[in-house]
Amino acid sequence: MAIPALPASYSPPASTSKLTPFLTQPAGTLIAAGPAFLAHLQLTRHHAGDFSKHLAATAAARAAAQPANGNGEDDDLGVGEESEDEGLLSLDPKEWKKQDHYRVLGLSHLRFTANAAQIKVAHRKKVLRHHPDKKASDTTHTTASALGINVNTNDDAFFKCIQKAHEVLTNPERRRQFDSVDPVFLEEIDDVPTAADFKTASDKDAGEKKGAKGKSEGKKALPFLPTFAPIFAREARFSKTQPVPGLAVPTDGPPTKDPNDIEGHEFAALKAHVESFYDFWYNFDSWRSFEWLDKEVNEGSDSRDDKRYTEKKNKSERARRKKEDIARVRGIVDLCLSVDPRIKHIKQHEKEAREAKKTAPGKKGAAPAVSAAQAAKSKKEEEEEKKRKEEEEKTAKAEAKKAKAAAANAAKKARRAERAAEDGA
Amino acid sequence: MAPKATPNGNAAQPPAEATPSNIPAVVGINLGNAYASIAVFTKEGLAECIANENGERQIACAIAFHGEEIYVGNQAMPQLVKNSQNTITGFRNLLGKKFSEIDQSKPASSAPIIQHPTEADTPAYKVDILQPAPKPLPTSNTNTPAASHAATPRSEPIPSTRILTPHEATTMFLSSLLRSALDFLGKPILGAVITVPPFFTQTQKDALKKAAEAAGVRVLQLLDEASAVLTTTTSPQWPGGGEDRTQLVVDVGASSLSLSVIALRSGLGYILGSKTTTNAANIGGDALSSLLVKHFAKEFTKKTKTALPQPPSSKEDIRATTKLLLALEYTKRTLSASPAPASLSVESLHSGLDFTATIARMRFDLLASPIYTAISSEIKSLLESIKIDPHDIDEIAYVGGTACLPGLDNHLLTSVGFSEDVQSAFSSATMGSGAVGDPTGVLSVGCALQASLLLSTSEESPDLVPAFEQAEEVKTTARTIGILFPTSEGNNSDGLGGTYISVLHKHTPLPARRVVEVEVVLSGGEGDKATKFAFEVWEIEEGIKVEKVAPKSSLPPSSDDEDDEDDEPEEVKTKTITKRNFLGALFGETKGTAVKDKTKKGTHTAAVQIEFTLGLNGVLLVEARNSKGEKVGELRVD
Repeated sequence: MAIPALPASYSPPASTSKLTPFLTQPAGTLIAAGPAFLAHLQLTRHHAGDFSKHLAATAAARAAAQPANGNGEDDDLGVGEESEDEGLLSLDPKEWKKQDHYRVLGLSHLRFTANAAQIKVAHRKKVLRHHPDKKASDTTHTTASALGINVNTNDDAFFKCIQKAHEVLTNPERRRQFDSVDPVFLEEIDDVPTAADFKTASDKDAGEKKGAKGKSEGKKALPFLPTFAPIFAREARFSKTQPVPGLAVPTDGPPTKDPNDIEGHEFAALKAHVESFYDFWYNFDSWRSFEWLDKEVNEGSDSRDDKRYTEKKNKSERARRKKEDIARVRGIVDLCLSVDPRIKHIKQHEKEAREAKKTAPGKKGAAPAVSAAQAAKSKKEEEEEKKRKEEEEKTAKAEAKKAKAAAANAAKKARRAERAAEDGA
Repeated sequence: MAPKATPNGNAAQPPAEATPSNIPAVVGINLGNAYASIAVFTKEGLAECIANENGERQIACAIAFHGEEIYVGNQAMPQLVKNSQNTITGFRNLLGKKFSEIDQSKPASSAPIIQHPTEADTPAYKVDILQPAPKPLPTSNTNTPAASHAATPRSEPIPSTRILTPHEATTMFLSSLLRSALDFLGKPILGAVITVPPFFTQTQKDALKKAAEAAGVRVLQLLDEASAVLTTTTSPQWPGGGEDRTQLVVDVGASSLSLSVIALRSGLGYILGSKTTTNAANIGGDALSSLLVKHFAKEFTKKTKTALPQPPSSKEDIRATTKLLLALEYTKRTLSASPAPASLSVESLHSGLDFTATIARMRFDLLASPIYTAISSEIKSLLESIKIDPHDIDEIAYVGGTACLPGLDNHLLTSVGFSEDVQSAFSSATMGSGAVGDPTGVLSVGCALQASLLLSTSEESPDLVPAFEQAEEVKTTARTIGILFPTSEGNNSDGLGGTYISVLHKHTPLPARRVVEVEVVLSGGEGDKATKFAFEVWEIEEGIKVEKVAPKSSLPPSSDDEDDEDDEPEEVKTKTITKRNFLGALFGETKGTAVKDKTKKGTHTAAVQIEFTLGLNGVLLVEARNSKGEKVGELRVD
């Protein structure tokens, strides 16, 4: 209820008085108990009766205590809250094979990384909200509808979906099967760059095709590392051996900004990593399987033949899909290898080293491994020396020629003089 | 730390992560002379009075020795019938007392108090016990005694006597309470707060502390009963716990009555007046029981033609009386809990005759009326002595098992003359075992709350801990300070000239801060232009107007029955407010929002937060803020 407005003719009383003197009687002493007494002590002892200081201090203390006990309530292990849209809530539990179990449990941000405890927490959260008992009792849907909770439909369809999702995700075997055909993963693997993407974008061809193809003009060169690193990261989940080496060369400091991942690494380390990386991925051992996509054996028919036929079909289908998957991963690795600027770098480097070895076999042939810088340096020196030698040789030759010519001249002169002397005599 | 014995074989403590770490491992103990209770923090983080392993929330303060067995708590009570010489009760009040100080005039129904045989002027109990038989000599493979044809004589327990001081008895009892708490919590107890009655001297307090420490617990504080009540009634668990109010604490113990009037000002409390009566013949649960025993003894005599004289003289009579007393405990509890008549039945009460009777609430209240009247007259005299009208009491906090009786509440409300809307556990329906308002658990819950508070304080700011033991001197406001929104002269019914809201109540300790939020209709123009509001700050005086209203009687007044009560004019009390000192006026401007109601079209209202800060220096600062937290007006009163 609002307080009525101030009358227009209002004027305050003219004389004001002071506060009545404070009492020290009766009692005068506080009862030393209760949280308010503690607050009073803090206020008077620590903050000299200043309320603003005291309020700030208690607020700070509360804020400091907050992370210690996890948002003030039970730690939800980072499961958090996820919005539930109409499409999700109207899922059909009969179509459970097609549903995204992580989305149903509100774990889409974690997906295959969600651990058992997180799944448990998420399931509990969902059950608390969607249990049929709760909906039956919750007839007032004013707050619930404001929160976007589907309470109008009194059916337990979504609850069944939740139970199914929990059933699948808590069984490690079935969870693997679902993870293998995780709908988000399937979406992601659709847009794998092709070799053409790198060719059209590569610097060499860009110049040539600039005039010819207008389309490629806008296209920027696909950077190597940012393109392939996430691809390998998402494929790594299927590896039977963990951890999986990453595409980028590991560094102690901050990650390299070079999209080609060459700068800032020792040549030997780079080479070792790149080699082991491709070695791993060419021998990639995946647990990905395709039982999830099996066709159901027709429940109605008891025919053993029917069953066997479907099973056989499923088996061959699984094998085919697995083969395709292996080929797909192999394709990615092949593509990566073919456009890997590091491989080019290594090859070139090795070629140079080989050439250097060829030109100066005696000098540094004995040393098997020389650092790139040293090699480059020695090569330069060698070249300079060669040049110098060549020049020296040249000058020497020229001098020798001159000397020869001079000698020949001298010999001619001598012969002429002899002849003249003979003629004169 | 913890008691070494772990009963029932569940010695393995649960892993640390099983219980959330933020639940303090503390226990609050209300140690009365007759009954005790314990409270701990449950998994929900609320302090609750818990039942011990026998399912008793009210644990009788009794220890019985019977042969090799030792009974503690309610199990010891039946021993009073046949084994009263070896049953110890009422040991708390003897703590720290000298033998010569103890009043022995009353006949003891339990083990008599004797002079300690070795220590000078120390009270003690002497009980007969059986010492466990010595164990047979240990044998080993290498040194086996030669086989004998004679049977090995059975080793018999050896009869002996044991001398117990009240200190030892208290330690024994407390450690059994602690064991119950430990079993409930499942982790070692870090500290305890124990109640002490207001009449305890420093020596007695020291003795209690020593006894508790001997039981293996760190005593964080000995809290007097009024403080324990304050802690419970200002906690969020209590309905209306944070409100400013004047509270009357009625603590009806077995043999004592303590009353206190406490001013509660946003959780801070101080005693306006208190009174404790002990060992009075007509006050407390024991007196009530003896009245009832008399009643039932009479009834027994009437029914069976067997005499059961009161007070009992023969040994058999004493035994019968004790049986009756034990059975009465349940009758009293039944009467407190349900409006139906309560039954009492004792097998072989006297001379092999069984006795069964029922008693209705009405009859019970009639019997108990001397006790009720004594309590109400004590309350009246206390309120008179501190010059507080019963109408100024906002809340009655009942403590103790006898205070559970609804008849007592009814009697006090009518005879003392509290206002109709006085709050109590009965009016807020928080009675009943385990509920927060249950008079039997209030003290122990308060102790548990205080224990957790002290434990966290000793970790965070240990410098403040000693202050809990000292008297904290404060100044308090002499008059209630409030705000008055002036309205046009026409519509002031109470003569104040506006809408009045109390902010700082009388007796508020300094420093104080209060915030009130009001919605005001803005003035100073039409529609959007209305931005102004104003209020006055007044010191007011609260009074009580007594009006004598003649009852409307349908019958014409007859001359012959003069002392008819209905003809007397009834007193109707109403609270009045009169303005005393004008402290200042605050004018503020803020933007409002239009009212959606069509009848009030064009009016704008705004929510205004008015903050009163009364500093230690005695300066009152009044600040008005709008809904965004911006300051829209200020007033300073020196």
